[in-house]
Amino acid sequence: MIEVLSSAALATVQDQGRKGSLRWGVGTAGAMDNLALAAGNLLLGNDANAAAVEVPVFPFKLRFDADCAFALTGADCAARLDEAPLLPWWVHQAHAGQTLTLGLPQGGAQRGSRAMLCLAGGVDVPEVLGSRSTQLRGAFGGHEGRALRRGDVLRAVGEGQSCRTGFGLVPPGLSLPLQVDGVPAVRVLPAAEYPGFEEASRAAFWAGEWKITAQSDRYGYRLDGEALRPIAPMEMRSHGIVPGVIQVPHSGQPIIQMRDAQPSGGYPKFGTVIEADLWRLGQAPIGSRIRFIECSWDEAVAAQDEVEAWLDRVRRMVDLHRSSPRPGGR
Amino acid sequence: MKSPAQVQELAAWLAATDIGLLELRTPDGLLRLGRSGAPGSEIVQLGTQEEGAPPAPPECVAVAPSVGVFLHAHPLHAAPLARPGERVSAGQPVGVVKIGPLLLPVPAPEAGVPIAFLVPDGQPVGWGTPLIELQAEE
Repeated sequence: MIEVLSSAALATVQDQGRKGSLRWGVGTAGAMDNLALAAGNLLLGNDANAAAVEVPVFPFKLRFDADCAFALTGADCAARLDEAPLLPWWVHQAHAGQTLTLGLPQGGAQRGSRAMLCLAGGVDVPEVLGSRSTQLRGAFGGHEGRALRRGDVLRAVGEGQSCRTGFGLVPPGLSLPLQVDGVPAVRVLPAAEYPGFEEASRAAFWAGEWKITAQSDRYGYRLDGEALRPIAPMEMRSHGIVPGVIQVPHSGQPIIQMRDAQPSGGYPKFGTVIEADLWRLGQAPIGSRIRFIECSWDEAVAAQDEVEAWLDRVRRMVDLHRSSPRPGGR
Repeated sequence: MKSPAQVQELAAWLAATDIGLLELRTPDGLLRLGRSGAPGSEIVQLGTQEEGAPPAPPECVAVAPSVGVFLHAHPLHAAPLARPGERVSAGQPVGVVKIGPLLLPVPAPEAGVPIAFLVPDGQPVGWGTPLIELQAEE
């Protein structure tokens, strides 16, 4: 058992998301940094879709009441097990009674904003509509359909079981870097209403830096930059949207839909952040700046292939290491 | 030591390359495979000069846990994992070895104080390469 010791946490249980339910008006939810979740699970020998705890606010503390292997990925947050410092992007062994503390994200301008705590076997919560992700808006899934709070008790499917620990990964931010002029970037497919915006606005979107404002969370990121002006006002009926869609409300300041986005909306769609780059956006801290890179369908598919190839390399190397004899013959 | 089947498999892989010599150092010993004659000729197992007399390791040395690239610091960190003169505990990672996306710790064999880095940051190393010399605690 694992007991949450932090009060104002906003931490949630997430897996890769509740796919295939948009037609019922149920959004996907799921880890904001899906690559960190997949990699943490691979380090533990878990299914890549096993549920983990996403931690966006620090410090965060919990206590292990049973021996349990765990992996820390996502933001590097100066984690400690009792007093011992822990390496990031690494699989560790906790013993019953030990306290895990996640501190403020490190790394200066390159820092992330969400730590992923993966547990041996995954967090044991019931599957709802095919997923263990917390659906905050609908108040179901995850742990009682809500963010974790002090005193909550979670169980890891694999607690008490032996697991290879004490190794790690080169984070994908280093292996698959993407920046423009030193600013983190994501690739964007122009969307249906893109041609309806002024040419100067379209140029400014690609050329400018966009600040992620304080009104940004798992539902969406509100950006601040040069306002995007439509050639003529666009009034639209509500229609289906997915995470990554960039809407432009009347203010001209874009909103990027994130994992907890509702599945429909009526604002004009300027573009869509490609699926392969949503993890980068998921780690972008409030107050930081991002750039957009225009991308074609083929480039978007190739980018997704690149992510899959990285995960395949990780899976192969981790499996090799996990199956190799342990030092000392144990 | 590798089983005969494993040695055969390694030999088959080697035969398909233009590599002349394969030296595999593992916790179980040293295996050497090479060509019997001219390039392109049959792969045979070669003798190991150090059989029975491995080089005596120095007093207290942290060694490479695997083939890979030795890094003094975690790739996300600027500060090295260990510094000469700063105490480390037994088993504490004092460096990492990078193999593709994988990072393996270089554990301190005993509690003590690092004296010298024997291999520069970013250099490829083989299994068992001495990396950091330590002064063990009494």
